[in-house]
Amino acid sequence: MSAPPDPRAAALQRARSPLLGALGRLALDFLETTRDLYRVFVLTLHYSLRGEANRPAFIRQMYEIGNRSLVFLSIVMGFIGMILVYQGGLQTQRVVPDLSLLGATFLQLLVRDLAASICALMLATRVGAGIAAEIGSMVVTEQVDALRMCATDPIDYLIRPRFLACLSMFGALVVIAAGVAFLAGMWTAHAFFGINPRTFANVSMVSIGDLAIGLTKCLAYGAAIPVISGYCGLTAFGGSEGVGAATTRAVVNSSLAVIMLNFVISGAGYLIFG
Amino acid sequence: MSAETSSGSSPAFAGLTPKINEWLSLIGGFGVLFGEIVRRTLRRDFDRAEFLRNLYRMGIKSMPIVTVTALFTGGIMVIQAAPIVQRYGAYGLLGWGAGFGTLREIAPLLTALMINGRVGANNTAELGTMAVTEQIDALRALAIDPVGFLVAPRFLAIVLTLFLSTIFSDALALLGAAYAGYGFLGVEPAVFYRGLTTGLLDFGDVAHGLEKSLVFGVVIGLSSCHYGLSTKGGAPGVGRSVNATVVASAAGIFVLDYLLSFALS
Amino acid sequence: MIRLHGVCKSFDRAVLSDVDLVVPESCLFGLIGPGASGKSLILRMITGLLRPDQGAVTVGERDVLAMGDMQLHEYRKGIGMLFQNNALFDFMTVAENIAFPLRRLFDLPEAEIERRVAERLARVDLPGFEGRLPAGLSGGQKKRVGVARATVTRAPIVLYDEPAAGLDPVTSQKIFDLLRAEQRAANSTVIMVSSDLDRLLTVTDRVGMMLDGRLIFEGTTEQAKNASDPRVYQFVHGKVDGPL
Repeated sequence: MSAPPDPRAAALQRARSPLLGALGRLALDFLETTRDLYRVFVLTLHYSLRGEANRPAFIRQMYEIGNRSLVFLSIVMGFIGMILVYQGGLQTQRVVPDLSLLGATFLQLLVRDLAASICALMLATRVGAGIAAEIGSMVVTEQVDALRMCATDPIDYLIRPRFLACLSMFGALVVIAAGVAFLAGMWTAHAFFGINPRTFANVSMVSIGDLAIGLTKCLAYGAAIPVISGYCGLTAFGGSEGVGAATTRAVVNSSLAVIMLNFVISGAGYLIFG
Repeated sequence: MSAETSSGSSPAFAGLTPKINEWLSLIGGFGVLFGEIVRRTLRRDFDRAEFLRNLYRMGIKSMPIVTVTALFTGGIMVIQAAPIVQRYGAYGLLGWGAGFGTLREIAPLLTALMINGRVGANNTAELGTMAVTEQIDALRALAIDPVGFLVAPRFLAIVLTLFLSTIFSDALALLGAAYAGYGFLGVEPAVFYRGLTTGLLDFGDVAHGLEKSLVFGVVIGLSSCHYGLSTKGGAPGVGRSVNATVVASAAGIFVLDYLLSFALS
Repeated sequence: MIRLHGVCKSFDRAVLSDVDLVVPESCLFGLIGPGASGKSLILRMITGLLRPDQGAVTVGERDVLAMGDMQLHEYRKGIGMLFQNNALFDFMTVAENIAFPLRRLFDLPEAEIERRVAERLARVDLPGFEGRLPAGLSGGQKKRVGVARATVTRAPIVLYDEPAAGLDPVTSQKIFDLLRAEQRAANSTVIMVSSDLDRLLTVTDRVGMMLDGRLIFEGTTEQAKNASDPRVYQFVHGKVDGPL
């Protein structure tokens, strides 16, 4: 660690680019974080399958994640539905005068990608921030240490109920949200392009592959968000600043994970189902 | 633990009136803050050093996430369009198709959401920590105006950061789309580029997206500063404020996106 | 008997250097020193929440550092801890907080758990507080609930980190007297970290002083009050002039 004896080596060290050093550190940090995250994920799965049930916490989290996100998601998905149908209609009109397939393509897009992904992004902010804030403030007020002193693994006690709740609620939320978006789109199509709702409600373009891809995304996002946010919460340190930092990290990392998972699953889905 | 923002832990649609009151008072609070910031900006009564410092930090912090998001988003756009393109053989139109959605909608929206999460949340955390450790009160006691000294520079930095990030994100998303087009559909980048510039897309579409990003920047800036300043309750309070601001900004972004799509087209 | 030998720990800089500490059985040991001298870190090393970079931590015959998760589980059954900020679980009632270690560490019938919780609450002078939430308690009340939780398992080792921080003088003295009475009644080994020297020294058997991560003094309370080391003397008597 101290200065090398060889003057040429010293010159080489000096010439080494600080940028490469920074990139290297970044890569190492990223690998370490990935490793820790993987460990948390595996432990969460382990406790989910083998641990003792903690029904009150699970029910409470289901309410927190599910019921309390409903209004927010409905508003967002409603507006998304309206925006997309409006923009999509405008776009298609520039090229092709026939808008009869607008509903069909919109529904396919919803099922295959949008419903799950937009819900995931929104939940990454709402639920991810909430989980990290709760767990983070427990860390900085030493409650997590108190848990450890009572032979309780915080991953089991804190992350597991949220993980299971998010997994179960996410699918339901996505379905409801997709419904809201579709209805909003249907209204927009009728109000702005005069499309008959029955023409709009066309499921012909939705295939099994689309359903499969959408479902996979639901599972992946529903698992990723609580684990990542819980991990960010557990690694908080330093008082109120630490809680704020942990919450920010959770939102950013969960959102990034959703986008990257989206790309991977969509790509795989395209290659498999075409 | 999380029952503090609404007046009760009521299920989704009950208790709607208190919620509406809450939203209205929130928007009113935003309006007041906005007025104060505008007044100081027009009088150039804001701390320039703080502005530049925040601009630099926010830009640095958001660079990686905007880059990754934009590249992947471009790729996703292509993947979504791929089945349609293949069915109609419209390979030449891929550039136009991906470009249209990206420039007008997706890039500004996703960039705003990412910046909301990265910069907005961080800003609220910093201001919130200052609030609970009584630093804001200390500023007032020293006859330093917190809005001019802290809030207005950060607000302006957020707006400018989002604007620049959207430009950057537009370019990167198209780049990501071009590569994905080549990788998944075998569309040559040159063909993609020609599809972009054939005349169905014009600068108006880019401007449409950028105008949106300005408005989104205002929303994120107002929300994060407002929740940061009004934080109470120690470390858990800071967490709650960050949670509240990302949710409020995200909702605001979507609502405004819808309204702007009409107003600007 | 708790023994630390040659314990060192660094974060960005050295926070503990070569600490040799012996706490005899059934002793009420006071750990004193200026802020950030490493007192809380010592407590965390004993519980196994923090591992030293070098050195040994033994309790009785057992080596804390060699313990795996299952052994730590067993080991922690024998330790009660009061944290600096109480660390009460804010989503549980007072009764649930106090009962938590009993439920997680032991397999007792419900009736017994309720009985012990009520007994603890009576002991800390908070009868009938079972259903309250921590958020609705005053600072002194939270501390007392913390004490109740730390002592409910009747552990042979109890660690108190700043048991009277932020409390008024009367409540502080009551807490210290209570902790002393608990230690005598259970014959437990107690380590107490506190900045309230005057009151702390009225209850301790032995005292250790930390400065900049080193243990600079260890002896009986009397020896502390008449220390030959000027730094210890100055600190114990709270004088402004001196080497500190």
